[in-house]
Amino acid sequence: MSKRLPTVAGEWIDRNKPLEFTFEGQRYSGFVGDTLSSALHAAGVRAMGRSFKYHRLRGIASMANHDVNTMVQVGDKLNLRADVTPLEQGMNAIAINTRGGLRADRLAIMDKLSPFMPVGFYYKAFHTPKSFFPKWERTIRNTSGLGEIKFGAPRVKTPKRYDFCDVLIIGAGPSGLSAAITAADADAQVVLVDENPQAGGSLTYQRGVDDHVARALDELLRAVHQRRNIRVLLATEAAGYYGDHWIPLVDKHKITKMRARAVIIAAGAFEQPAVFRNNDLPGIMLASAAQRLIYHYAVKPFDRVVVLSANTEGYRAALDFHGHGISVTALVDLRAQGDVSEFAARVQKAGIKILKGFCIYEALANRAKDNVAALTVCPVAANGEPQMHAAQTIQCDGVAMSVGFAPALNLLYQAGIKSRYDPIVEQFVPSQLPPGVFAAGRANGAYFMQGKIRDGERAGLEAARYLGLGAPVGPAIVPAEVSSPTHPYPIIDHPKGKNFVDFDEDIQVKDFINAAQEGFDNIELMKRYTTVGMGPSQGKHSNMNALRILAKITGKPIQEIGTTTARPFFHPVPLSHLAGRSFYPERVTPMHSRHSALNAKLMQAAAWLRPEYYQVHGKSKDEAVREEVRAVRQSLGLIDVGTLGKLEVYGTNAAQFLERVYTGRFANMKVGMTRYAVMCDESGVMMDDGVVARLAEQHFYFTTTTTGSATVYRELTRLNTIWRLNVGIVNVTGHYAAVNLAGPRSREVLQALTDFDVADVAFPYLGAREGNVGGIRARLLRVGFVGEVGYEIHVPAEYGVALWDMLMQAGQRFSIRAFGVEAQRLLRLEKGHVIIGQDTDGLTSPFEAASGFAVKMDKPFFVGQRSLKIIQSKPLRQVLIAFVLDRSYAGASPKECHLVIDGDNMAGRVTSVALSEALGQVIGLAYLTPSLANIGGKFMIRIDGGTLVEATIVKPPFYDPDGARQKSEAAPTAKAAA
Amino acid sequence: MNAPLRASPLHDALAAAQWTTINQMQVASHIGTPTEDRAKLQTIALADLSHLKRCGLKGLDAEAWLKSVDIEPPTAINQWAPLGKCGLIARLAASEFFIEDNAGQDYADRIHTQLGRGVPGVTPVLRQDAAIALSGPLVNELLLQTCSFNFAAINLATRPIVMTSIIGVSVLLIPGARNNVPFYQLWCDATYAVYLWEHLREIAEELGGGAVGLATISPNINPEQS
Repeated sequence: MSKRLPTVAGEWIDRNKPLEFTFEGQRYSGFVGDTLSSALHAAGVRAMGRSFKYHRLRGIASMANHDVNTMVQVGDKLNLRADVTPLEQGMNAIAINTRGGLRADRLAIMDKLSPFMPVGFYYKAFHTPKSFFPKWERTIRNTSGLGEIKFGAPRVKTPKRYDFCDVLIIGAGPSGLSAAITAADADAQVVLVDENPQAGGSLTYQRGVDDHVARALDELLRAVHQRRNIRVLLATEAAGYYGDHWIPLVDKHKITKMRARAVIIAAGAFEQPAVFRNNDLPGIMLASAAQRLIYHYAVKPFDRVVVLSANTEGYRAALDFHGHGISVTALVDLRAQGDVSEFAARVQKAGIKILKGFCIYEALANRAKDNVAALTVCPVAANGEPQMHAAQTIQCDGVAMSVGFAPALNLLYQAGIKSRYDPIVEQFVPSQLPPGVFAAGRANGAYFMQGKIRDGERAGLEAARYLGLGAPVGPAIVPAEVSSPTHPYPIIDHPKGKNFVDFDEDIQVKDFINAAQEGFDNIELMKRYTTVGMGPSQGKHSNMNALRILAKITGKPIQEIGTTTARPFFHPVPLSHLAGRSFYPERVTPMHSRHSALNAKLMQAAAWLRPEYYQVHGKSKDEAVREEVRAVRQSLGLIDVGTLGKLEVYGTNAAQFLERVYTGRFANMKVGMTRYAVMCDESGVMMDDGVVARLAEQHFYFTTTTTGSATVYRELTRLNTIWRLNVGIVNVTGHYAAVNLAGPRSREVLQALTDFDVADVAFPYLGAREGNVGGIRARLLRVGFVGEVGYEIHVPAEYGVALWDMLMQAGQRFSIRAFGVEAQRLLRLEKGHVIIGQDTDGLTSPFEAASGFAVKMDKPFFVGQRSLKIIQSKPLRQVLIAFVLDRSYAGASPKECHLVIDGDNMAGRVTSVALSEALGQVIGLAYLTPSLANIGGKFMIRIDGGTLVEATIVKPPFYDPDGARQKSEAAPTAKAAA
Repeated sequence: MNAPLRASPLHDALAAAQWTTINQMQVASHIGTPTEDRAKLQTIALADLSHLKRCGLKGLDAEAWLKSVDIEPPTAINQWAPLGKCGLIARLAASEFFIEDNAGQDYADRIHTQLGRGVPGVTPVLRQDAAIALSGPLVNELLLQTCSFNFAAINLATRPIVMTSIIGVSVLLIPGARNNVPFYQLWCDATYAVYLWEHLREIAEELGGGAVGLATISPNINPEQS
């Protein structure tokens, strides 16, 4: 039978737009504007989910975004909170956390087993025998968990957006609305956000059948809409508070990072449940949930309700129910004196039975156990003890709980407020606010409409004043509540338990008592042991009651108990929103399209995408790399080295500057020459290396490692800020394209394209020249990194493609091959060259890395020199050596990072290793304990699987030891060089 | 041997319907049909301006040197000024400047030649940036989705330049307006250009716009053109 009410003024549903949907395989209908919960409740469905631990049937509790027991899965989307999930046409929802469906859940037996599963049972039950633990762990993991992740779900890209305003107001209830109007009138640019689809907050549902409330709301909304400097963002959650008033605003489609100059938090309060046996039965809900059902969705929450109250709001709710055709069987007031407000008089006048000083001792389920059917109520003593001698039973199909509130201080805590417990309103209120952060409304203990509106005005003025707008304002409105809106201890113990404090994790009163007895008697420990507040609702309905219980157990005042830490996010945020569009900056060289055309397999090197090797159809990676290596050794290869850092230093002190920065000597370099350069940090650790070219007396051009350019540039800039030398430093990494044309045929190809002599005499090994290559102004460095005649050619980036095409075309007659990083690594390994970051780590000095030749300790100064002197005076920890495996070795090759074993000890590690076709054996570099590092010595490498492989220490380089090929001095053939 | 054509860092990302050659570089004159390109201007249009010639210089004497060659730099840091008919000079720091030519100008080439390896107190800076124009009423929306800087708060009359980060890429940006419609120019390291362009284009397309050719935004790209 439909529970839909006749049209309710201000209802959020559109009755002209019906929707069809299914829940647990059953077809239902609702309207646009419904949530899944409201539509189901309208269809008479009370049980909508199962609890997390004991798999008890649960229904609507809050309708306020923390109904965690009615979470559903809709297709790929899991753990949607049904109480706030908008209904959509064709929606196919199922309850999560069941085995066999909501009604036939096989794990419902957990409720019967609950006496054996108190909080923390798994800490104690499954540690012996130890061998069983993995099995138990697996079982628990399989049994628990919420929702089912669909691994095939598509990646959803969502926008992230920045936004800015003067005053951000969180919460569009009466306080937020009035704050917005006031701040806007002071000329502030205001943004007003609310998680609900309509503004108004409690004024939209806590009516007490009172037109005055609706009129007040209309006036506030009209005033807001009249002001062009107020932007209203609805269905938008303020998910957290970060430094400098940075608030992530989450809506259906995106996260907006709002940067405000001031923030007013008027987020209201969470209504809190009473705790009594079976308080989790479907049909038992917060009074505000029932009021939301009526006023937002025109749904009749019950037919016969008992209102459990401890404040005026409960009386107002009773009037709302009565006014919408619901039989209010009784109003049970926990307070002995009852209520003295006008609403109490109206309740009495309506003929509703009021039981003052009574509590609900327990709720009784119907036969199907899917709804409350009756209550046992009895007087409650001043000490909170139920007086069962006077118990009575009341039949009903629903309970509306209105026993108090916990202010939504989460964002305020994240902003760094201090709070105090105010016994007048029985809640924490802010006592100290950080600059630019303001609280309004229920956060300050203001619960009645006029108090909230006035407090909002005050907060709006304060925020404007903070921004230099408007006049000085007074302190927060002290609430003039007739009675406290919140009961100090709405918790009734029961010997049989099932009086739930935390519905997320099925935590009962006895669990807190047990935890305290075991010594977990402060709130942070108790939270972790019981897991209270750690479920999806993050304690919105449970933390305050947990504090009250702990205060009672320990006999301490609540102020002393304190609160737990509030962390983002305020409500769960979809991971797709957090991932956004996935912006990961990528760099490519100007020749990237050419690499793609050559079927390059790309690899990441810092932000760069580089060709690892060029894939050849029908050939493996190893074969392709070997062919690239062979091309360089025997004929001609071309590699894009544009990812190298490229810097320039100009000025009268340029040489002096480099002398200080690098370990080598540069003042004596001739113009037109290059030199290998090592850079250390202050502790003498190798930080970077590269080649320095002197292009003119006061002009140096030098390279850094691919990953090091930004760091090196920053460091050089920092150093010269201190040294104040007359130099200009320019980072031209992205402004130059660069290639290395390498191989015995490189000179012939280059000569044909240049207007200057590249013969050995005119352009010797380690020389640097500037000239035209194919009509492009270029810088050329004669390098030998790969061990063959080679020319690094650097041109302005816009000519990179032209240079590449030109060289590839010119090299065709020599079967030129593009080669990638993998081939280059092997080629340089054959030459014994070190790669910073691969053959060094964050502790390696040049002396350890066989790079002492590049360190000129007799210079007056260079960065790291003092540390290197100390290092030099002590025995080395390790040294980098070159090794080979026996040519006959046919087993698995060692890999980088495999350990060197000496007896029972680790004696080093492999840093580079590869099979060299030119040498016909596996070669590598490794760090060794110095005592083992003797040429011709043997050592053992432990490879995968634990096998020990013998290696022999040799003198590097492995290939062309005299360097004749790279210098091109009567170059031997590649075979002879090996 | 004649110099070959220059190539825009965005050349392969443009998929242009029609190309033309300007400043020895192939430039997309239209991405779609002229009608399609013009329609994008109603929301947000992106165009590649990398063909424009530019240069940089820095050093303690850079300002004096510029004045010595009859170029008046902006007086304030993070400010730009018109250069010649429709070029611009931007002051990036106390002693660092950025110059870009437009049609028919050759300031950049002249300065490059005059500076050579630098003169005392002045260091030449090679600028091979990618340059992108953003035009249309939704420029600010595009930037709000990609950049944490609040462009709405700046005063265009002061001719500001903004050095910020867009989706993780450092950019130099000149906000402007033509006929009261936002017209922004941005420059970034060319090696990040494809990444930046692809993401900006994707978002622009979601907003109803997209990439256009140079002909659509007019070859004269002075941000203050009315």
